[in-house]
Amino acid sequence: MNFLYFDPGLGAMIVQAVVAVAAGVLLFSKGVMYKVKSFFGLAKEEEDTYDSIDIDEQDSDVNDED
Amino acid sequence: MTKINNNIHEASFRDPSGYMFHDAATLRRVINPIYFPQYNKLKESGFFRTLIDKGLLISHEETEVSEDKIIITPEEIPFVTNPYEWSFEQFKHAALHTLKIQKYALSKGFILKDASAYNVTFHKGKPIFIDTLSFDFYEKDTPWRAYKQFITHFFGPLVLAKYHGTEVFKMLQTHIDGVPVKLIASLLPGKSKLSSTLYTNIHLLAKMESKHSEDYKAETKVARLSKKAQNNILESLFDYIKRLDLKEASEWGDYYDKTNYEDAAFIAKKEFVSSWVATLKPERLIDVGGNDGTFARTVLEKVPHVIVTDIDSNAVGYNYQQVQKNKELNMLPFVCDVLQPAPGVGFNNTERTSLIERLKEYTPDVTMALALIHHITLSGNVPFEKSAEFFAKFSKYLIIEFPTRKDSWVESLLVRKREFINHFDFYNESDFEAGYLNYFEVEKKELITGTKRILYLLKRKNNGG
Repeated sequence: MNFLYFDPGLGAMIVQAVVAVAAGVLLFSKGVMYKVKSFFGLAKEEEDTYDSIDIDEQDSDVNDED
Repeated sequence: MTKINNNIHEASFRDPSGYMFHDAATLRRVINPIYFPQYNKLKESGFFRTLIDKGLLISHEETEVSEDKIIITPEEIPFVTNPYEWSFEQFKHAALHTLKIQKYALSKGFILKDASAYNVTFHKGKPIFIDTLSFDFYEKDTPWRAYKQFITHFFGPLVLAKYHGTEVFKMLQTHIDGVPVKLIASLLPGKSKLSSTLYTNIHLLAKMESKHSEDYKAETKVARLSKKAQNNILESLFDYIKRLDLKEASEWGDYYDKTNYEDAAFIAKKEFVSSWVATLKPERLIDVGGNDGTFARTVLEKVPHVIVTDIDSNAVGYNYQQVQKNKELNMLPFVCDVLQPAPGVGFNNTERTSLIERLKEYTPDVTMALALIHHITLSGNVPFEKSAEFFAKFSKYLIIEFPTRKDSWVESLLVRKREFINHFDFYNESDFEAGYLNYFEVEKKELITGTKRILYLLKRKNNGG
């Protein structure tokens, strides 16, 4: 069950299909570029202090439901 | 952080899943039966545990369980800052934090049902998610319901700040539910349409939103979106935001190089501040106009919680970077213009409380106002009695620096008054004292050697004036 307590915006729901395609293409091409740059030793370290989007779960025992 | 009205926290009425209330001094959260299935699953699956252990979600204790309600008591956050008080870096990190949590939620069969910027605040030197009831079950192949909210609360303002500076964050004071997509699109330069990320997430979104705005009966079928596709959106937004930088040149940097005093004077001032604070043993301290936190850092080890405000978002950003780098858990920087502090906004004007309300609740034992009064008085034209009244509203002890008329900064501010210079004859030591003595008594008074500045330690009178 999913209850909705604010309007997510219909346009915003539909547009995500297009956004996702563009994002997919971009992520793929960046991945390729990164590999090419790393090969030539040109990949730069990021300066920002926030870590990655992924949560490292090695030290917690959560059951993955996927 | 809020006004007490029937004890229900004024910021939590929008969500039917539950609400926050004040139990004497403790803030607790009631969960309504409608949210029990989600709550139990989040708890039992270990989802809450992981987020809390990783320091991503505010921790809580279950303090009461009955058939018609569950009460949880979250860890106390001494001072809650709002999005329009964040520096660029803080805003950025709050956005990244939200995406990170959504991505994790998705992998565990949940979603963030909203992506309000108010769900994040800063605590122990880091962004933290504070709305424990923001999670819901993921329904297979549905797009992210909070996507638009993420754009209007986070992505839009950040991109606008890149082009127009951090002043745009103040738009969130007038748009409590985010800057409208159409407005964001219209404020971006034409070339932003060439970026596939900006084009799809903002310009196309704005178009689609106006196209479908009249679907009153919710007739159009909602599109489907695979989990993988949604992850692509999240990752691509994360990458884009992480790389985002301000266009405006940073001005904070050489402030302490530009100041007009010698190293020895600088050290003398630090020593006074440090020894006075040591005798007062404050639990909580605020440094108003504290720039990048240089002076607050001299007392950081002695005070359990320190907040530092400055009008200059770059200085606050620099301070925040230091906090992150040095892992200073007890320092909280945020942006504040003393002449125009954050008002109470939202429904009833109480949904997000004003800075003064929050400071009154924070009750700092010591307030520091160093190298600030000449700006308030001469740039802001605020009489001494008025600024004294402001400080007396929340401070018990006030360490205030008074640069005399002979100080070079004051001289320059006075010269800029041109033909009105004699309207500011009141800017002198005795008028300053007369104004402040309405609300405070002088505990200590020292001339900072090598400068034309006087440092006062004032104590608020019991009747507050």
